[in-house]
Amino acid sequence: MTLPLIEVTDLGIAYRLSRNQAATFKEFLIRAVKRQVSFEKLWAVRGVSFDVARGEVFGIVGPNGAGKSSLMKVVARVLPPSEGRVIVRGAVAPMIELGAGFNTELTARENIILYGTLLGRRPEFMRERVNGILEWADLLEFSDVPVRSFSTGMMARLGFSVATDVRPDILVVDEVLSVGDESFQLRSRARITELMNAGVSVVLVSHSLGLVADIADRVMWMDHGMPKMIGEPGAVVDAYRRWSSSSH
Amino acid sequence: MTTRLAIYDSDQARTPIVTELRNLWEFRGLLRLLVARDLTVRYKRSALGVWWTLLNPLLTMAVLYVVFSQIFRFEVPGVPFPVYLLSGTLVVALFAQGVNATGAAMVNNANVLSKVYVPAEVFAFASGIAAGTNFAISLLPLFVIQLITGAGIPWTVVLIPLPVIMLVAFTVGVGLLIAAAAVYFYDVLDLTNVFIQLVSYLVPTFYPISIVPERFLRVIQVNPLYSFLKVFRGFVYEGTFAPGWNFLVIVVSAVVMLGIGVWVFSRSWKNLVVLL
Repeated sequence: MTLPLIEVTDLGIAYRLSRNQAATFKEFLIRAVKRQVSFEKLWAVRGVSFDVARGEVFGIVGPNGAGKSSLMKVVARVLPPSEGRVIVRGAVAPMIELGAGFNTELTARENIILYGTLLGRRPEFMRERVNGILEWADLLEFSDVPVRSFSTGMMARLGFSVATDVRPDILVVDEVLSVGDESFQLRSRARITELMNAGVSVVLVSHSLGLVADIADRVMWMDHGMPKMIGEPGAVVDAYRRWSSSSH
Repeated sequence: MTTRLAIYDSDQARTPIVTELRNLWEFRGLLRLLVARDLTVRYKRSALGVWWTLLNPLLTMAVLYVVFSQIFRFEVPGVPFPVYLLSGTLVVALFAQGVNATGAAMVNNANVLSKVYVPAEVFAFASGIAAGTNFAISLLPLFVIQLITGAGIPWTVVLIPLPVIMLVAFTVGVGLLIAAAAVYFYDVLDLTNVFIQLVSYLVPTFYPISIVPERFLRVIQVNPLYSFLKVFRGFVYEGTFAPGWNFLVIVVSAVVMLGIGVWVFSRSWKNLVVLL
């Protein structure tokens, strides 16, 4: 099959902002009666098109607020596109935020099962995988500790370990790899390389430009929701670096 | 990759009810897990654990019993007053707890729903089913009271799942509408509480239907909760079948309410998720 795993065409993502924010229903009713309700569209992403082939690592760079995370959420099916079209062929393992699916009251073991199930795996299957996942994350001795007492690094290891435990078709990584210590960074990179070699496509959002230039096959630079440049990693990252240092 | 790829195409992302139901079925493992989590977290957090579910209705009933049986001297022909009270408060509690939990489900799980793709309805159904499970647990104290007061337990108790499942469906339907509104306005959940309180007074939980003046009777009977209560009481201690129209009301209101809830919720989801 030669079809790209991700096809994004003319994508736009709009957030609706009500101009005079009515946070309560009572206020809203009063405003509606006075006819003061109006909505404004804020485009977080607009006019973005790209493909990601099987086994390709696609990097996305850009300043804060460029729309990178919104774009990731659309690829991960969380947000629907406001315009344009997105086609994703295969299972996506989203790592959009660390511990997004974790319930801090539950233990590491319970969270592994819950998070894996949220990602669409079966609970029975997750139960079999728990020890392997804990082992990779180097958290075996904390298996029955509530996650609320975990450090950021421990959360990162646990989340990464669950998300990459089953080989997905597409791995969406949003600024997760830069958390954690040296050894975690090395091991997570090794695991991503392993997945890439096995034909998994990776979409990587990161502010660590060195990392992106190193492991991406192609890079897109975004600003204000629009793509500024797509192409060979070295060239795009260099252009973005020059732009950042001149304008900021 | 031997299995065929699951394809997501945003242009075909319309979600009619059939797709919703299929999604729900695919995520049934998650549903089971969420219900279990809901119950364990609830019991872990309270010192009394599962005893709380048994004690809570009994305490409520004790207070109401003193007020209405000893002070106001209410009496319901043919049934010990505590049994009448407890059976009524349990049904209203299921509805109140279910609607509140379902209504808050999206807001409470925003951190998951805005980061991982999960059919959001799963969380609503999990809340409703958890409320139903709590109800089932709290049937035990009711049975005990029935035995103590000599009301007995008729064979029709085996039919209780029918009104309970219908009530859970009805509750989830109402809850889904509230869940959608609560994403927009945070005070919706407070207003819901007030609304539920008002509705619960319109159901004969602690007063006998016979004391209701003729001209208000309609107001009480038009409330679907009245029919749920009537059918449930018939099964749990009377050992009788409520009139046919009550059965019609519970089935129709459950199906219609759930349908409306799922339909409205799934259609508005794409506007909701950006606000989470």
